[in-house]
Amino acid sequence: MLSNFTNLSRVGIPRLIITRSVFFRDKQSANHPPEPFKSSVPPHLEKQQQKALEEYKTNEDPSLKCYVNISEPLPSLDMYQTTKRGLQLLIWTDILKGFMIALGWLLREPTTINYPFEKGPLSPRFRGEHALRRYASGEERCIACKLCEAICPAQAITIEAEEREDGSRRTTRYDIDMTKCIYCGFCQEACPVDAIVEGPNFEYSTETREELLYNKEKLLQNGDKWEAEIAANLQADYLYR
Amino acid sequence: MTEGALAKVRQWFMIMRHYGGIKNTILALYRYDDLKVGKCIGADKYGNHYYQNHRYFVGRSRWVKYADRVGLDYDASQVPPEWHRWLQYITDDPPTTTPLKRQPWMIDNIENKTGTSQAYVPYTTVPNKIESWKPPSPTTTQQTVTMKT
Amino acid sequence: MSGIQLNRLLVALNRIKQHGYIPICKQSTAAQSKKEPEKIEVFVDGKPVQVEPNTTVLQACAVAGVEIPRYCYHDRLSIAGNCRMCLVEIEKSPKPVASCAMPVMKGMRILTDSPLTKRAREGVMEFLLVNHPLDCPICDQGGECDLQDQSMAFGSDRSRFTDNEFSGKRSVEDKNIGPLIKTSMNRCIHCTRCVRFGSEIAGVSDLGTTGRGSDMIIGTYVERLFMSELSGNVIDLCPVGALTSKPYAFTARPWETRKAESIDVMDALGSNIVVHTRSGDVLRILPRTNDEVNEEWISDKTRFAYDGLKRQRLTAPMLKNRDGYLVPCDWEDALSVVAERIGRTGSGSKMAALAGRFCDAEGLIALKDFMNQLGCETVCVEERFPNVGASIDLRSNYLFNGTIAGIEQADLVLLIGTNPRYEASVLNARIRKAWTHNDLQVAVIGPKIDLTYPYEHLGDNTNVLNELTSGKHAFSKTLNEAKRPLVILGSSMFERPDATSIYASAAQLSEKLRDVSAKEDKEWRVFNVLHRYASQVAALDLGYKPDFKSIIDLKPSLLYLFDADEGLIKREDLPKDCYIIYQGHHGDRGAQIADAILPGAAYTEKHAIYANTEGRAQQTHLATTPPGKAREDWKIIRALAEVCGVALNYNDLDEIRDRLEEVAPNLTRMDSIEEANYFKQNVELLKQHKTSFNNQPLTPPINELKDFYMTDSISRASLTMAKCVKAVEQQLKSRHTN
Repeated sequence: MLSNFTNLSRVGIPRLIITRSVFFRDKQSANHPPEPFKSSVPPHLEKQQQKALEEYKTNEDPSLKCYVNISEPLPSLDMYQTTKRGLQLLIWTDILKGFMIALGWLLREPTTINYPFEKGPLSPRFRGEHALRRYASGEERCIACKLCEAICPAQAITIEAEEREDGSRRTTRYDIDMTKCIYCGFCQEACPVDAIVEGPNFEYSTETREELLYNKEKLLQNGDKWEAEIAANLQADYLYR
Repeated sequence: MTEGALAKVRQWFMIMRHYGGIKNTILALYRYDDLKVGKCIGADKYGNHYYQNHRYFVGRSRWVKYADRVGLDYDASQVPPEWHRWLQYITDDPPTTTPLKRQPWMIDNIENKTGTSQAYVPYTTVPNKIESWKPPSPTTTQQTVTMKT
Repeated sequence: MSGIQLNRLLVALNRIKQHGYIPICKQSTAAQSKKEPEKIEVFVDGKPVQVEPNTTVLQACAVAGVEIPRYCYHDRLSIAGNCRMCLVEIEKSPKPVASCAMPVMKGMRILTDSPLTKRAREGVMEFLLVNHPLDCPICDQGGECDLQDQSMAFGSDRSRFTDNEFSGKRSVEDKNIGPLIKTSMNRCIHCTRCVRFGSEIAGVSDLGTTGRGSDMIIGTYVERLFMSELSGNVIDLCPVGALTSKPYAFTARPWETRKAESIDVMDALGSNIVVHTRSGDVLRILPRTNDEVNEEWISDKTRFAYDGLKRQRLTAPMLKNRDGYLVPCDWEDALSVVAERIGRTGSGSKMAALAGRFCDAEGLIALKDFMNQLGCETVCVEERFPNVGASIDLRSNYLFNGTIAGIEQADLVLLIGTNPRYEASVLNARIRKAWTHNDLQVAVIGPKIDLTYPYEHLGDNTNVLNELTSGKHAFSKTLNEAKRPLVILGSSMFERPDATSIYASAAQLSEKLRDVSAKEDKEWRVFNVLHRYASQVAALDLGYKPDFKSIIDLKPSLLYLFDADEGLIKREDLPKDCYIIYQGHHGDRGAQIADAILPGAAYTEKHAIYANTEGRAQQTHLATTPPGKAREDWKIIRALAEVCGVALNYNDLDEIRDRLEEVAPNLTRMDSIEEANYFKQNVELLKQHKTSFNNQPLTPPINELKDFYMTDSISRASLTMAKCVKAVEQQLKSRHTN
């Protein structure tokens, strides 16, 4: 059978078989080098074994003829056959086992979360997308003290401020570069008026980097959208702050 | 009756009743990749329905059925903040029993518009720092002439 | 190393060598020769220090390198001793002592780190904070606040302030004291620095205190404007956020600004400033301490006109289109069209150039080289200078020879036709300081004006000058008795038709006084010209003609205006086909008559050298880049010369400064005054001049505060300055005038 494989290998059969034919050589093949050893008996004992066998055959004990060897003949113990058998056993049983395990899990309840329909648990302290909050009156909280800008380790925040018509201190520019932001939460820690917060939202991925350069109006819009949840989360967590 | 093959069959029927017929069940499987039965806790004004079944472990015990009008264009950002809080297990009280405080200036939920024409494009919120001098042009000189007359 | 590099290195080395031997002009030679009193020894935390008698404990600690916290104490103001923050323990003294007001005594042992001192400071901080609002996040002083810093360093680490009865902190109504200073009186800690500044330095008693104890209020008694041209300095003085800058309100924090050291060009004093910028935007201008020039004060125009740098700017080159309207274009187009026009003019004899008040030395030398190489010799400055005697050939003729710091050594100042209060406000403060501390006598020839200090008014006609020169005037006796007199001649007098005579008689009078004062101090220089334009001295040093009338007489066919915005030359004065090129930074009077506009850089936007009225060369550093397509001035001229085919052999700042050094070496020796002492020779030449006065009174152009604010293209573009003018006009109309 293997000689066929070696022939096939010349016309380009899969590489696996080539390797097989290389490693498990066929001694009948004419161009093959001779087998390095014939049996498991060491060469210096070979003669003694031969002699013993002949002795056994010639001096056959007639009393032994009543016995019948009912055990299966031992399989061939030469190196090629042993290895082949072992590998076949390993491959087929493992594949089968693997299938069985997969089948088993298939029939069990899944352990994965079927996201966007199901979602994992979040902490009220989760630091997600930024938002600028407002007071209950609708007045924006941020007073442009610039502490968040100062503390930001990634220097993602840019603030410009000036006096509003009513004389209050307000920002004119509040930009956060969300691509720079490392979501450390220092800005909300630094804020004396709880204006900038990192909300619970993390589903704001974008297709372009540009969309992640948030300006003041975007942040205020985030605040207006998420305020109900942000306020409830802060309320839930106030004892531990 | 909860164990054994018969129970499984019973469950199949329950699922099919829940989704409303074989066709709808197949459609639901196509849309949600999963067939689950649970108690409908409520719905938001956008048409999303929220379900709960404590038989499943945390993470799978609450789920949302996105509004039918979005079809296959469902997105996690379509969940409004009130339900988001419940859906992500920050609280156990759904907004149907304990509604969150709303202010008149709060806005409706906006889904993530990236990739569409309504996607957010950054712009500056401050005027130019340097104001250039405008040389007298035909229009301005016209104005001064009319002002004089 | 190439030849050019080697050459450059040699030039630099040469310059360093020269810098080592600059003859620095000092007016104070005699003052130093006074015998110094013996020093006494005191111990600060056990460390012995030698200090002069009459210094305070606080100063002795400063000598020892120990900084004592303080609020009310300020080096340049009188001692008030009312904040009590500087309490220190002195051995064998029963109570802690206010170190700012306590003179040292021999062998005094001062303990600045003892438990008693610490507790005293904590106590004072606590009392100050009882009534100080907790509004640091919205306070503009935040980040540069003495109260913040010192409460962190010396205050208690916890508060005992419990407002159980909700009685609240002390609250005081905010005052409206003008468009420059924002008040937040709740934050006031009553150090009275502002009040002392007003009455001592600015000479305006608008600010004061009413009430006592916790009812004490700093204010203007009635709602009125803080009418001073130096008012902005109280913002720097205020240790808390009670007085802050209104134009700068809420715009930035001190930690986010970039600071560039620079020189002011609003007047000819060359006050040292620091320009604060953020992302290419000038946010504010603060003074930089230089005892030789401005101490630590700057005028309001210097401080607040910066918003003019952002308005009416020329941001792109412009050319006239077929309809005769200016339209923006590219540099390539502008340069080629202008070069073509220059080429078409042919010989330089029909060309002229006029440089204005903000031109830097680099731009001036580039323009002069360029015009001269084209064959043009009519290269003028806007400010005039009489062509009499040696005129501008001798530097001592047009400099403020006595030096600004020299005023403090003087015992008599004669002001001729100048109003230093509005022409050089900081110089006026220096005169006032000398009047307060040294009994300086001041005499004025000119109109009766409020100079913030009393003076002898000698009249405002030219006769007075004549009589003084001949020694017939009643004041001549006092004048001749003066040991160190200074004669300050205002540059506005040069605009008069009889400028030569006024100049000649002032110079002659000064020379006569110098003969007298030479007995006391051989090096004493009497004659001073107080310029108004920052570019004037550098331009005269570089050989610009101080006579713009010669341009009108020339009837040029091409006129190059370099920052010339005074409007001295009108379109009507020139031939109809005259092509006017305007290079500058503001769309002002010059740009309006121009056919081509080349946008230049303002003083905050370039590394440039300016020489002040003393002849002191100082350099500005780039704070922001020029806006839009605007470029540094000398580079524009260099590029234009290239297109015109004229070789100007400098390609970078070092090379153009080498060229400056060739022409006027004094302009490259920063912060020093070159010796210029040729009064005698000049007076010899002046003898030939026949004085003939006309009867106009010797009136300087600016005599009122409202005229002070908007004088040049930058301040005319400034909204803050416009608000100031309006506020002053309103104040003059109100009931509460002086």
